[in-house]
Amino acid sequence: MELSRRRTLPLLLLPGTLCVGGFFVLPLAFILRESFLGEGGRMTLSLYVQYIQDPKFYRVFLRTLKFGLLVTLLSALISYPASYAIARTERGKKSILMSIVILPLMTSPVARTYAWIVILGRFGLINQTARALGVIQEPLRLLYTEGAVVVGLLQLFLPLMVLNLVSAMENIPPEIEEAAQSLGAPRWVSFLKIIVPLSADGLVMGSVLVFTGSITAYVTPAILGGTKVLTLATLLQQETVVFMNWGNATVISVVMTGMALLLYLLLRKTRPKIS
Amino acid sequence: MKESRFLLFSLVFLYVFLIGPFFLIFLTSFGSESIMTFPPKGFSLRWFAKVFTVRMFLDSFWISLWIGILSTLTALILGVPVAYALVRHSFPAKGVVEVVFSSPAVVPGIVIGFALLRFFILMGNFPLVTGLFLGHTVILLPYTVRVVSAALRNFDPSVEEAAVSLGASPFRAFFLVVLPNIRAGVIAAFILAFITSFNNVPISLLLTGPGIATLPIQMLIYMEYYFDPTIAALSTLLILLTILIVQGAEKALGISQYV
Repeated sequence: MELSRRRTLPLLLLPGTLCVGGFFVLPLAFILRESFLGEGGRMTLSLYVQYIQDPKFYRVFLRTLKFGLLVTLLSALISYPASYAIARTERGKKSILMSIVILPLMTSPVARTYAWIVILGRFGLINQTARALGVIQEPLRLLYTEGAVVVGLLQLFLPLMVLNLVSAMENIPPEIEEAAQSLGAPRWVSFLKIIVPLSADGLVMGSVLVFTGSITAYVTPAILGGTKVLTLATLLQQETVVFMNWGNATVISVVMTGMALLLYLLLRKTRPKIS
Repeated sequence: MKESRFLLFSLVFLYVFLIGPFFLIFLTSFGSESIMTFPPKGFSLRWFAKVFTVRMFLDSFWISLWIGILSTLTALILGVPVAYALVRHSFPAKGVVEVVFSSPAVVPGIVIGFALLRFFILMGNFPLVTGLFLGHTVILLPYTVRVVSAALRNFDPSVEEAAVSLGASPFRAFFLVVLPNIRAGVIAAFILAFITSFNNVPISLLLTGPGIATLPIQMLIYMEYYFDPTIAALSTLLILLTILIVQGAEKALGISQYV
């Protein structure tokens, strides 16, 4: 049995490894090599040095990080009490609540983001309402702003935070809280001292997923930010399709991939249990 | 009492924020004006009719469907053995294998698309459709590996060992004993992977050209040039389809545990 197991292992892993190796690792390695290639085939950092000093890249890079932090923070704040409420509802109701939470995750991101055009557009919900109430005369420009992108990203990634928090909170026996409360702790104290620390794994996991998702998302900044509010992902598209500047696009690719992989590996190292 | 009112409020806020926008799309898709306005004026079904008459939506729908089915099946055929190896075998470089098979879901899709464009399409002269198929297959692998692994972990290995000790080859034991028992997980993996492929934008974005575009890409292109509610109508149809699939899959398979 043991011998035949050892013999089947390569057979099990080989086809998948060839696929990932050939169609994922190889093209990415090619890009990475390109990014260091100078004139005459020498290795150089000049592509990075040039582009990172470009104020446009710099601005977009910082804005992308800002979006990531803001969306992560807001989604944690919104999700914490709501996830607690979901975790503490009875089974039947909880499965309905959870299937509504995962619905946006399964929906076409284009359709989901289009909803924000209906809300924020020139003739959208907010502008029409404000005009009808006489608050404004001319429609406000709400689309193609940083706020629009943040709101869109928030709706996109909230479900990930909720899923992780709920699954962490479900595992906390309600008896611990009951004990704290019967000993006189007010409910908010037992929430802060019991629920928050015991759901920290879910919060970390959710935060990394939301942050990584926000700094790499394409559809939301493309539709709600356009060329006015570029992020790394939409800048990469612009450099490739509009300017055909392979060098710049390569640098952006390496920077984005580096950040995403680094966060993932950090998560794996520090929380082996949950990844 | 005050706390539970606060919890209820946060719950309502979350759900309004998550699915409220969907209702607005439904409403606008029935408007009769040719520029999307809210609240919609009049009532008409013509944008729904238009979805089915615009040639580029129909063509790209079929491309999305075929790419989705083929790459999901490929990712399952490649991913099931990997999941089996990860759950049932212990070997030295297991952590590395796990990282390698998760990384296509970690590396930003648009970067994968860019790398495939440079390496296979521009340098290797591969046709765009091949690039689309390869890119989709690669990003679906982490999903199939993860979901099938979860299903395997819930299946008692002693059942399979019993089959082998009674004389079945490991191969036979897998197909006759293991596979039927993890069926729900495999179907869940298929549904999740297919939806991921069907909705994907970042991989497909740079791998499209004249005549070759997936449905989400075609929607993005249409939105740049037209402001009528056709996209609202198409979105409504896609959302309804998703609700049907997700509700069905949740009832039958409990799909939310695999997301």
